[in-house]
Amino acid sequence: MIVGPSGAGKTTLLRSIAGLEDLDRGSISLGGKRIDALPAHRRGCAVVFQEPRLLDHLDLLDNVAISLVAQRTPRKERRSRARELIEEVGLGEFAGGGVKGLSGGEQQRAALARALCAEPELLLLDEPLSAVDPNRRSSLMDLILQLQEDRGVTTVSVTHDRAEAAEMGQVIALLIAGTILQSDDPESMFRRPQTERTARFFGLNLIHGMVKDGHLAFEGSEIAVEGPDGEVTLSIRPEAVVIGDGGQVEMTAIEAVYLGTHVRVILKGEQSVLEAHVQAEVSPAVGSKVGVSLPEPQLWRIPAG
Amino acid sequence: MRNSGRMSGALRTTVVLAFSLPFLVLVLQAFADSWTAPSLIPQEFGLRGFRDGFAGGGAGVALTRSLLVAFVVTAVSLLLAWPAARVIGERRLRHPGPVVLLLAVPILISPFAIGTGMTGWFVRLGLTDSVAGLVLAHIVFSLPYAVLVLSTGFSRRLRLSEEMASSMGIGPWRRLLMVTLPETRPTLALAALMAFLVSWGQYGSSLAISGGSPTLPVVLLPFIGSDFEVAAALSLLFLVPAVLALAAANRAGRVR
Repeated sequence: MIVGPSGAGKTTLLRSIAGLEDLDRGSISLGGKRIDALPAHRRGCAVVFQEPRLLDHLDLLDNVAISLVAQRTPRKERRSRARELIEEVGLGEFAGGGVKGLSGGEQQRAALARALCAEPELLLLDEPLSAVDPNRRSSLMDLILQLQEDRGVTTVSVTHDRAEAAEMGQVIALLIAGTILQSDDPESMFRRPQTERTARFFGLNLIHGMVKDGHLAFEGSEIAVEGPDGEVTLSIRPEAVVIGDGGQVEMTAIEAVYLGTHVRVILKGEQSVLEAHVQAEVSPAVGSKVGVSLPEPQLWRIPAG
Repeated sequence: MRNSGRMSGALRTTVVLAFSLPFLVLVLQAFADSWTAPSLIPQEFGLRGFRDGFAGGGAGVALTRSLLVAFVVTAVSLLLAWPAARVIGERRLRHPGPVVLLLAVPILISPFAIGTGMTGWFVRLGLTDSVAGLVLAHIVFSLPYAVLVLSTGFSRRLRLSEEMASSMGIGPWRRLLMVTLPETRPTLALAALMAFLVSWGQYGSSLAISGGSPTLPVVLLPFIGSDFEVAAALSLLFLVPAVLALAAANRAGRVR
């Protein structure tokens, strides 16, 4: 799973792997084989693009079976294999018809079936959910995960949505400005970032300061910090910030926005600003002073460098 | 409602008559061995127009030559127009205006000016009175139409479809057959029709380049001043391939 902000080069990376973009330098290997000199149609990479890219002049079955034409599979067999896949992606009722009447989500399911029909060595997904109605996204995501598991096909997927990355990825790589900053399992990416930029992209709070004798001064209190003394950056997830009486320090709530599943509270102290995600019941009034605690196990020291 | 229905019926009749009456006159004239005023229809019907056209005028050879030239011009124009149309249609040019203008120049300035300039060079290069010379001369006029029409058939959408096909393991030739040609079929049919008709109807350039081995319009035109029946008969003959081309293009361009 490749995640990153817009313009980071995610789609370019995916297109380069697929052979749709030329490389300036570097090489691409798949299963120990160099593939960067091969044309796109010989790489064994099937792409599901942001848009479904179905062909209007073919019916749904022929669209899904398009890769089998190149393999010279007889028409009858092509169509029966396409029919199985169309059933699998939940479009069975449309199997006999064209593609023009399908909704965006249905077309993207057909595109997924088409990619799987090619039995690729590597499946590439380029923000496959971005053009789909938000309400239908989760069911399409479930379908993708299910098919991936059933077929055991290696998949590289790109998205700008970190929650989507967490849900879909076994390994997440963060790509910013053409460079992979960190590549790890989802929990590590969200809780143990290796760089400040990674921390910022995944929405963590950052606390800068100097550690003296294993302690960092923070808003008139002290935080125990493991590791050597000196300059340090700590990070903590907004969900881990605790608001309530008996807090370590006192901060002012300057903003509180209800987001449906939680309230995003912005807390301001003498030196620092923190974001906290709390339940509506414990959300403070804007302008009020509240106690804030940063539970020690939740604090992560970002490695220097 | 009923009233407006009758009105549209009358309108329809008027339109049909307006278009068919002149054509009917042409048909009558082509078979009128004798037709003198004040009679509204010919006194005598016959095939003299066709006989004389083919015998003295050499319409048969001219017809074959015209057909050959038009088919070659159509094929070559489409092949030459394809890459240019593709670049323009996909908006890959930063400043398409001057390029489109240059490509369209032959149909923008007077055919007479182009013909005069061309003739001198064709004589120098020994291209006069040959099918190759005719093809070359006609392409000057048919290519701009082919490029302009064809460019409307290329779009970002087509490129995306082609990319999809590549990523599905489909090689360049099969991709052309399975994706590119079907997706561009309507414009391709229209561009072919334009190229064919432009060549088919060429008079000035054909006369200038190839007066010695003429095309059908070159054979036809002098008869308009001398023999109406032959002129009408050859005009009918001239219409047949044009109408067939129109019908074929219409059929090929129909989207399912």
